[in-house]
This record gives sequence, structure tokens and C-alpha cells, in this order.
Amino acid sequence: MDTAACWFANPAWVSMEREEKTIARGLRRRDPELLDGLIERFQYRLFRYLLFLTGSRETAEDLFQETWIRVLERGRQYDGRSKFETWLFAIARHLAIDLLRRKQPQSLEALSGSNEESQIPFQTSGERSAFESLAQREEGERLAAALANLPGSYREVLVLRFQEELALEEIASVVEAPLSTIKSRLYRGLEAMRELLEGERS
Amino acid sequence: MSEDVHKRAERLIATSNVEGISAPDREWLDEHLESCGRCAQRAAALEQVVVTLRSVSIPPDPAVVEATRRRVRVRAAELHEQQVRLRALWMACAFSWGLGVLSAPLVWWALQWIGEHLALPTAVWTVAFLLWWTVPAAGAGGVLAWLRTRSPSGEYLRGLPR
Repeated sequence: MDTAACWFANPAWVSMEREEKTIARGLRRRDPELLDGLIERFQYRLFRYLLFLTGSRETAEDLFQETWIRVLERGRQYDGRSKFETWLFAIARHLAIDLLRRKQPQSLEALSGSNEESQIPFQTSGERSAFESLAQREEGERLAAALANLPGSYREVLVLRFQEELALEEIASVVEAPLSTIKSRLYRGLEAMRELLEGERS
Repeated sequence: MSEDVHKRAERLIATSNVEGISAPDREWLDEHLESCGRCAQRAAALEQVVVTLRSVSIPPDPAVVEATRRRVRVRAAELHEQQVRLRALWMACAFSWGLGVLSAPLVWWALQWIGEHLALPTAVWTVAFLLWWTVPAAGAGGVLAWLRTRSPSGEYLRGLPR
């Protein structure tokens, strides 16, 4: 049996494809019930991604709302061929870039990925700590400290890979970067995290 | 143990976390980790990073989620209303265009007749005929532009990612 035949024979894949098509149809109709369901289902993942991306709870909350409004307005562009969350994260990322461009033009490179070592501003002055809620937990405290010191481009791919469980190709699609860049960021990000966490421990 | 062996182990440890490794590589790595404390420690540390990352849960504020739902519903209603208005406008445009096409010979003849009676140059009544066609289109364009500026997210819609 060839690969395509295997895929079609896989009920999980078929059901996923059907689900994405259903979402695409609902978005074309701008169905508020569907949007409600999607918000419910993806709220944790989207918010976590935005929080890790921007480093600010307030900004993440604003972008969370804007992202869903954008999903409603631009839903007709989603064709259901890719996973919905890949499209959702890409929208959220573009909005974050737009916001950073308006707020701090110098920080744009951090997200656009042209400079891997650059830092996404992790906390805007006067705002609550980005990872307050995370740091409330003992194990989260060390992670929060390590993440705060990590370049934004690494932080982003780490969260997409290990929290959102996206495939490498999907991350490349969200971040709009070559696969090799994504892999390199993941390796470097993991290594940096390991060093930071070991440093914390010692 | 040569340095190359440790380097290979380090590479495989990283790869196993990011992309996954083949069964023979996994077998080789497991064997190596059993005999090398340093690499085993490294593997455990990286594994811990991944486990910690996966264990993080940061829920959004329920009030924000609720506010988002409300905003989405309101915006959906606005867009629906806008769509109905636009549909009506397009229908009016189509009707006007159809009527324009059907009445074109009559209008041409009427303008020609007026032009001859008033002894106007041909260019004047030809321009009048062109205006007869362009003014309604310009009017419809104006209305569309006005509707766009009235939309709360009109500004927001420009220059967005595709």
C-alpha cells in the first residue's frame, strides 16, 4: 500500500481532515457558534503561545482577543488543507509582530527571525510579570527564570514544539522560516534551557 | 572512550528530543548511556527540560475569554449586517448597469438630438454620454468607500497578513 493509501485508510487522519474542512466551512459562514467552540477549545494553547511569544500577560490578553476577531474576519482565507491551529498561531504571530512594530520598532527582528540571537522584550515596564502565574509553582519558577533569559526566537519554537506539539514543518509554516532554521533554533533553545536550568540549580 | 563517541551521543540526545532518532541509533545511545555517567546526566537534563516545558499550564483569565466571545459575536453581527447592505448595493449596481446597457442607444440618440438642437459641438454631448455611464459607477464606489470607513475595523483590515 502506498503512503497516500495508508493515509486515507487511517481513520484518525480522515477524521482530522473532515474536521478541518468543517471548520473551514463554518469560518466561511462566519458561524458564531463555531467560533465559540473554537475559542473554548484553543483558549489555553493560544494564550500560552501568545504569553511565551510576547512575555507580557496584558499584551497576550489583548492579542488573544484580536486574534479571534481576525479569525472571524479572515476566516474565508482558511481552506482546511492545513491544521487549524497552524493557521491560528500564524495569525496570532502576525498580530504580535504588528504590535511590536508599533510599540518598539527595534524589537521587530526578534520575531521576524532575521536575527536569531535578538531578544523579544520580555516585560514592558509597569506591567505584571509575564510568568507570574507560572512562577507560582515551584518547578515553574525555575522555568520562568530560564525562559525570561532565552532569546524570543528560541522561546517561540520551544513552545510550539513541546507545548503545542506541532510538527517541525508546521512550526516552519507558522514562523515562516526554513525547516533548517527551526531545527537549529530548537537545538540551540534546548541547549540554552538546559544550561540555564542547570545554572539555576547550582 | 573517545571524544567522538561522546560527541555522537550528545548529537543523538539532542536529535532524539527534537526530531526523533532511528531504532539502531536509539539502541546505540541507550547502550552508551548505560556506561557513561556524563552523557546520561546530559540526557536526563534535556529530558527534564522537555518534561518541564510540557507540564506548563497557564490558563487565560476567564473574564478575557468571555469578553472575547462577546466581541466576536458583536463583530459577527456587524459583518453580517454589512454583508446584507453590500449585497443590496451590488444588486442595485447590477440593476443600474443592466438598465444602462438597455437604454444606451436611446440615451445616445437623445443626447445627439439635444446636441444638434442646441448646436453643441459633438465632443460636448459625447462627454455627456460618458458621464451618464461613469457617474453612477463613481457614486457606487463612493458609497462603498464610505461603508468601509464606517466599519469599526476598517483601519484594522488594511495591511493584514494573508
